[in-house]
Amino acid sequence: MPVKSGDKLPSVDLYENSPASKVNIAELTAGKKVIIFGVPGAFTPGCSKTHLPGYVSDFDKFKSKGVDEIVCVSVNDPFVMAAWGKEHSADGKVRMLADTNGAFTKAMDLEKDLTGPLGSIRCQRFSMLVEDGVVKTANVEPDGTGLTCSLSNSLLSQL
Amino acid sequence: MTVKCGDKLPNVYLHENTPDSKVNISELAAGKKVIIVGVPGAFTPCCSKDFVPDFISDCGKYKSKGVDEIVCISVNDPYVMAAWGKDLNAGGKVRMLADGNGVFTKALGLEKDFADTLGTSSSRCKRFSMYAEDGVVKKLFVEPDGHSVTCSKSENLLSQL
Repeated sequence: MPVKSGDKLPSVDLYENSPASKVNIAELTAGKKVIIFGVPGAFTPGCSKTHLPGYVSDFDKFKSKGVDEIVCVSVNDPFVMAAWGKEHSADGKVRMLADTNGAFTKAMDLEKDLTGPLGSIRCQRFSMLVEDGVVKTANVEPDGTGLTCSLSNSLLSQL
Repeated sequence: MTVKCGDKLPNVYLHENTPDSKVNISELAAGKKVIIVGVPGAFTPCCSKDFVPDFISDCGKYKSKGVDEIVCISVNDPYVMAAWGKDLNAGGKVRMLADGNGVFTKALGLEKDFADTLGTSSSRCKRFSMYAEDGVVKKLFVEPDGHSVTCSKSENLLSQL
């Protein structure tokens, strides 16, 4: 069952910058208000031109609404995620966390088979507000890749 | 079966820049002198600092030895490969081709499990460099441990041509 409002986030490790640097997503969100958004792939057009930049530029607006952190997740390795974040000046605004083996994506039941275009199972595009590890709002793109309900301005309006 | 000198390159498609842009590696290599290098991962420290840049900066030297094209492959998607190539200023020197499904890597018998270093559950490509003429492998250097930068280095391959 895909993740929905009321669910507790799974206790899964993601990776930041390198394979040696683990971040447990449940621990990261404990006691905090966190935005998490997921993308099908680092450096892909939709993710790069619209999705990630929206969250980077709306960082201050999210902060003013009490959000502690914004996290971007994708099924890519941590070196790729770090490079992508750097390209979009995400540092200090959006934490780029690698779901290298797709464990987090699978735990949330948000897998999408993008073997054809991208070579592997990836994450459907989504956004969510999490408070103290519990999902309050979850927006999953109906087709898994579109740029509609999961965009930054849409989530902001829900806060 | 692992690729060796004398083998014909496999008839496999890679992708360049986007998933729609297919490049058949044996067609690319037909009638030409081609360098192909393989790496465990785009944007990884060794590949980015110690390996691919040398092939980019040695492009002129390879050309003077009659090499027509230099190609870099990795088990990454084409968007990642294109971005990495741009980051390395590979344009016009090294073509970045994506072996997204690992089909080319598998056909060469050069798969390696990098779970302990890259943390990925999908097999990646061992580091290698090769020289092929008209689609036939003439020189081949595969790193014994699959990831160090020793025999597959550009200066070593260059010295063999």
